[in-house]
Amino acid sequence: MDNKRKTVLHWGLGGGAAILLSLVLTDPYLRSVLTLMAISALLAASLRFVMLMGELNFALAAFAGLGAYAAGYMNTALSVPFVLALPLAGLFTAVASALFGAITLRAKGPYFLLIGFTFTEAVRVVYSKIPALGGTSGMIGIYPPLSLDDWMAGIVVATSVILLLGLFAAERSDFGRILLAIRENENVARSVGVNTYLCKVIAMSCACFVAGVAGGLHAFVNTVISPGDFSYLLAAFALAYVKVGGENYFLGPIVGAVVLVALSHYAIGLGGSEHFLYGGAIIVAVLLMPSGILGAFGKVGPRSVETKVRAARHAV
Amino acid sequence: MRSETSPLLKVEGLCRNFGGLMAVDTLDFDVHAGEIFGLIGPNGAGKSTTFNVISGFLPPSGGSVRFRGEVLPGGKAAAASRAGLVRTFQHGSYVRSMSVGDNIRLGTVSGTPRPERAGRVREVAALLGLSDKLGETAGTLPHGLQRLVSIAIAIAAQPKLLCLDEPLTGLNETEVGTVLKVLDGYRRAGDRAILLVEHNMKAVMTVCDRILVLHHGTFLATGTPTEIRGNDDVIHAYLGQAHAK
Repeated sequence: MDNKRKTVLHWGLGGGAAILLSLVLTDPYLRSVLTLMAISALLAASLRFVMLMGELNFALAAFAGLGAYAAGYMNTALSVPFVLALPLAGLFTAVASALFGAITLRAKGPYFLLIGFTFTEAVRVVYSKIPALGGTSGMIGIYPPLSLDDWMAGIVVATSVILLLGLFAAERSDFGRILLAIRENENVARSVGVNTYLCKVIAMSCACFVAGVAGGLHAFVNTVISPGDFSYLLAAFALAYVKVGGENYFLGPIVGAVVLVALSHYAIGLGGSEHFLYGGAIIVAVLLMPSGILGAFGKVGPRSVETKVRAARHAV
Repeated sequence: MRSETSPLLKVEGLCRNFGGLMAVDTLDFDVHAGEIFGLIGPNGAGKSTTFNVISGFLPPSGGSVRFRGEVLPGGKAAAASRAGLVRTFQHGSYVRSMSVGDNIRLGTVSGTPRPERAGRVREVAALLGLSDKLGETAGTLPHGLQRLVSIAIAIAAQPKLLCLDEPLTGLNETEVGTVLKVLDGYRRAGDRAILLVEHNMKAVMTVCDRILVLHHGTFLATGTPTEIRGNDDVIHAYLGQAHAK
């Protein structure tokens, strides 16, 4: 009970501070950076959720794209209001990813990763061939209601906090334990009656719901989307956020996203290419901080399920 | 010990081949509620393959596995487990990075209602002497305790037939004593049975009610421990004179 209360307190303070920050920031540039951090953190947390069961979901970019295009199409062509378009985009993505997962999650490791990669690139070609989705030049005019315009940063951060809380609760539940068991010793899970295949599909679908909403938020924040926004690089960046922040920590992808997005904006200011910084940060993280920033600077924040995952994995 | 009612597990004409190799050849045996049934034989005799087929981790090439009167679908491990047939593995069936408590809880996720899971974890931990280890990471425990965690996970799933694949390997005398006591208690519940693959002959002869001996994938002998110890074929193929009576 004591631990539970502590967790609620941490979430209240952390989430509240982030939302407050998004509301008090007046500089539009800083607000846009904060928004990008929140969306990036969502994508990275989605990627990490699938990593809990030992798979790298490189189809992340495709599903973020599906969410963005679904939200954009609903908003521009079907006049679905913003507050409905966002969750519907998430649901659409969740269903699409469940179908994708049901077909592809028989494959594992590098095979699953490669399927995700090719799916991402194939879906991009599909967008560019459909005139209703704007073809190669993309979709424009995806506006949130004018009355919400000033509150968009707050809405993005608050939505992110809620979705992250959902992923956190799932990770800490018995479902999270099953995912970890699937990663490390799938036979154990099967031997106690768990349908591991179904669990993988559900995990994939939950993670992609989050990615879909993140894509929808991106569409409404940017007001313009194009196939180029959703290349496999998006998944590669998300992986960088997870690794740099600390894969073994729930807060890892959030810290990674905040640090790397801040770093990339700093680099743009210097006139340099942020991609060098991403690459550099990943190399530094892998060489000097194999457990990421959180791993290097102690036990900050809630850890993933009583971990030592890395140590245990190497000890096998 | 042995009930005269219909058997809990009935294996009929079970075959499993890997290409040209016949790992298990036309095997028949029954396991009744209330008994500990030993499956022994030299390395390569087909014990693990038999285990894998019975527990649904491998589909059979022929024959059937009937459990509580129903034919189990071949190759469906989770279904076999939900029907009440739960197994452990030779090389540790636990999750290294998770705490002992979380590991045992895994055993409860598909058959125990959520509010009862925590209590079930404490109960099983107490049974195996793991109560003071619940918060420790399983991967950091000594080998013997890790074996106990594997057994605890399986017991937490409340199986009607508990299939243990070499559970005593690497355990010290005290730990062997603990496990044998637990197995004996489990059998005494009456409606449950244990299928045991084990090389520790002293333990097998002590705890088993009946034993089946496999050799080159086929039936060699079956009977009580006393009968098995006195069987010339078994002495010749597996036991040697040391365990013979």
